[in-house]
Amino acid sequence: MTLLAGSETRKQANMKKTILHLDDEAEIRELLSQYLSARGYRVIPVASPTEALKAIRQETPDLIITDLQLEDADGLEVVEQFRQVLPNTPVILLTGVLIDPHVAAETVGTKVAAYIEKTASLTKLVDEVKRLVGE
Amino acid sequence: MKDHTLRRVYVFFLAIFGVLAAVAVYAVSAINRAQSSSDWVNQTHEVIAEVNSVLSTVRAGEGALRSYVLTGDRRDLAAAREAFATMTEHVEIAKALTRSDSGANAQVSRLEELVNQRSELAERVAAARDAGEMEQVRAMLAEDAGVDAIGEIRRGVERLREEQMALLAARDRESYLQAQKTRWIVGSGVAMNFVLFAAVSWLIRDDLAARRRAAAVLREANEQLDAKVRERTGELAATNERLTAENLERRWANQALEHQLRYNQLIVDSVYDLVFVLTKALNVTRINPAVVHLTGWEAKDLLGGPLQKVLQLEKNEAELDLSPIGPIAQALRDGRELRDRAALIADRRGRRVAARCALFPLRDRDKVVGGILIVHAASVSQEARS
Repeated sequence: MTLLAGSETRKQANMKKTILHLDDEAEIRELLSQYLSARGYRVIPVASPTEALKAIRQETPDLIITDLQLEDADGLEVVEQFRQVLPNTPVILLTGVLIDPHVAAETVGTKVAAYIEKTASLTKLVDEVKRLVGE
Repeated sequence: MKDHTLRRVYVFFLAIFGVLAAVAVYAVSAINRAQSSSDWVNQTHEVIAEVNSVLSTVRAGEGALRSYVLTGDRRDLAAAREAFATMTEHVEIAKALTRSDSGANAQVSRLEELVNQRSELAERVAAARDAGEMEQVRAMLAEDAGVDAIGEIRRGVERLREEQMALLAARDRESYLQAQKTRWIVGSGVAMNFVLFAAVSWLIRDDLAARRRAAAVLREANEQLDAKVRERTGELAATNERLTAENLERRWANQALEHQLRYNQLIVDSVYDLVFVLTKALNVTRINPAVVHLTGWEAKDLLGGPLQKVLQLEKNEAELDLSPIGPIAQALRDGRELRDRAALIADRRGRRVAARCALFPLRDRDKVVGGILIVHAASVSQEARS
């Protein structure tokens, strides 16, 4: 019964869309993991680009969400590295105040599948996630 | 089972057992009566047989006696004596058998009397014959012929037999009626028990049906309750999920706001020009690090104090009647900006240096609550640094 339940859980887990989330702030990783998990996604939270690259080499996610302003790297450079490894995986870039929202579309907008300001609601973020993973 | 139904079942079973017990008691009584009746019938038949035997042995004895009188053969005398002895024996038995029936017993006693007379007569005749007194024998026999003792014995026997037969017939009718009554009572008891069993069965069946209905109602109520609980649980789960989502949204918004504030603070602090945040009364409420670095004033020296302490505008001709910072106050009252105005910055040492400044009203919705003054003082900075 337990084995069956475990097997079922693994099966359900396999059916869930996987999202890799890169952010150097633990609180944001925790928040987004809780929110996306509650909506049926499997979230792999990572704190650094190195961890992220290691994770995507082990398992191909359906979507990547990354912060633009990372402590030890530039988000756009990390996106380039993601595209080299997983050219077909969509990436959502979370932008903060360091980029002018009026010019973001002409700059980072061309490099990622979507960019969302961190001040936007989680609902909007999930709508974008659904669109990109084809739900 | 409900209490009143159980009580009814007990009452019915009690009635069934009562009827069974009554039927059994009556049946046992009837059997006993039948047994008594059978004993009585057998005894009556024995009485009849005994008195019949009395008659036949009297005749046999009389015949043997007469043979002895005629032939003098001792064997006939022995046969006569034996017949009379047997006759006496039959009479004794009949008397014993009719001991409980006074009427019959009286008749048997009468027979015994007659038979004894015959027996005594026979002994006297035999004695006379043995003595060779034939005249006396003939006289006794002639006397006896006139008495008709045999006929009297025969009539007594027949009367007793007829009475016993009549009693047998009466007893037979009584037995028949008793048997009919027993059959009727046993049949009625069995029928009554069947009816009672049927009633108990109906009662139990009715109770079971009521219990099934009650169970169905209870089951339906439980299902409804379960459905309500599931519905309520679902609502609570949905509410909980919504609250969790709202909480996450709020935390997400808070952290975004915190980021925004932190970055804005960093941006303001990074501005190389002097930034003053003013109230409408032109008191300083906030400055950026550039003010401290470039004028030498500490934040505590300026915050809460008048702007005039550190800055004065160079007036143009139209503003001569205003105070040194009057144009700024006027612009805030009017809710308009000032751009590129010449001003003098007073550093901590009291030196005044020319600068250019701009004022931006600070609005809270449509209301001007203060202003932001940005001062570019390149020459002061050099001196302050030195």
